[in-house]
Amino acid sequence: MDSLTDRVGLGWRPDLAAGILEHLDDIDLLEVIADDFFAAPHSQVRALKTLAAQVPVVLHGISLGLASSAPAETRRLDQMARLVDQVRPEFWSEHLAFVRAGGIEIGHLAAPPRNRSTVDATAANLDRAEAAVGAKPLVENIATLIDPPASPLSESEWLNGILAASPCALLLDLHNVLANGFNHGYDPFEFIRQIPPERIAGIHIAGGKFVSAPDGSQRLLDDHLHDVPDPVFDLLEETAARAPAPLTVILERDGDYPSMDSLLAQIGEARRALAKGRARRYHPVEAVR
Amino acid sequence: MSSDATQLEIFLARLYTDAHARADFKANPREEAKRAGLSEEQSAALERLDWIGLEMAARSFAKKRHQKRRRTWFAALKTRLSRFRFFRFVH
Repeated sequence: MDSLTDRVGLGWRPDLAAGILEHLDDIDLLEVIADDFFAAPHSQVRALKTLAAQVPVVLHGISLGLASSAPAETRRLDQMARLVDQVRPEFWSEHLAFVRAGGIEIGHLAAPPRNRSTVDATAANLDRAEAAVGAKPLVENIATLIDPPASPLSESEWLNGILAASPCALLLDLHNVLANGFNHGYDPFEFIRQIPPERIAGIHIAGGKFVSAPDGSQRLLDDHLHDVPDPVFDLLEETAARAPAPLTVILERDGDYPSMDSLLAQIGEARRALAKGRARRYHPVEAVR
Repeated sequence: MSSDATQLEIFLARLYTDAHARADFKANPREEAKRAGLSEEQSAALERLDWIGLEMAARSFAKKRHQKRRRTWFAALKTRLSRFRFFRFVH
């Protein structure tokens, strides 16, 4: 696989718009939060279509709640379908999370119990999503501060179960792997080795911070408010060494925005990690030495 | 899908969003799980809950809900203002 086919882009945020448009030559593609446009005025959707005509765009969902034992809501799937039809992104993606249950809105991505039942229910929701939108989403692993109860399956077993039950590609969030590995005591590199590499098509990179737990221990919070830490670039290199398909890498930043130069430097660092991983793939014997 | 699984997700959603529900459950896990219609197996699993993780996750979810409410409020305001400008423009 030619490393030149790998791409690195940035999450579109209104606060970053001016900087992004000024540096489009350094950004291969943009990931847009789909939910921000579900109820947006026509003018904003038109602006998004104009953006998509200038630079490759992918859409990212955050509220469908596909990893739930309840069926994904038709209204929300239709909103995603309408936006996909209007914007024509290269692909769309959504998290493996539940976000509501019994009328209670959790407000963010929650990890469901990892068992056979939620594997099957997620696969059924992915079928529903495909029927509504016309294409299956890339599915993303989430970060969780709580190890979900009633989970006989490990995180990698659960993820692999969904990938086996549904022909989706994986959007592998490396900071989520790092955070869950730290918070729940597993080796993030080992986690990546347990995932079928041929299913990885997208990568998220981001930063977070360590927070103190009430018992004095530390947990890693995936807040997207900090620069990408070195271990995430190491995980990116490892993923690039294993994945046979071209990778689409997105840098996510949701606030406390640094300068555009800093974001571009992180994009550059991601390109270097990809190239190092691809070089290991071409020369596995040298990598062992 | 199994109603057992749905009941458990509803129970977790309540724990993630309601401090009173968390306090009640912590005080009497078996009774609360039974009241929520959970199975014996689910109740037993919940007794081994990661309490610290639960409190931290609940705090994080509450912050996200607050941010979302603010964003929604600002977006609605922006839309109303843009309509007002349009109204002034056409009249």
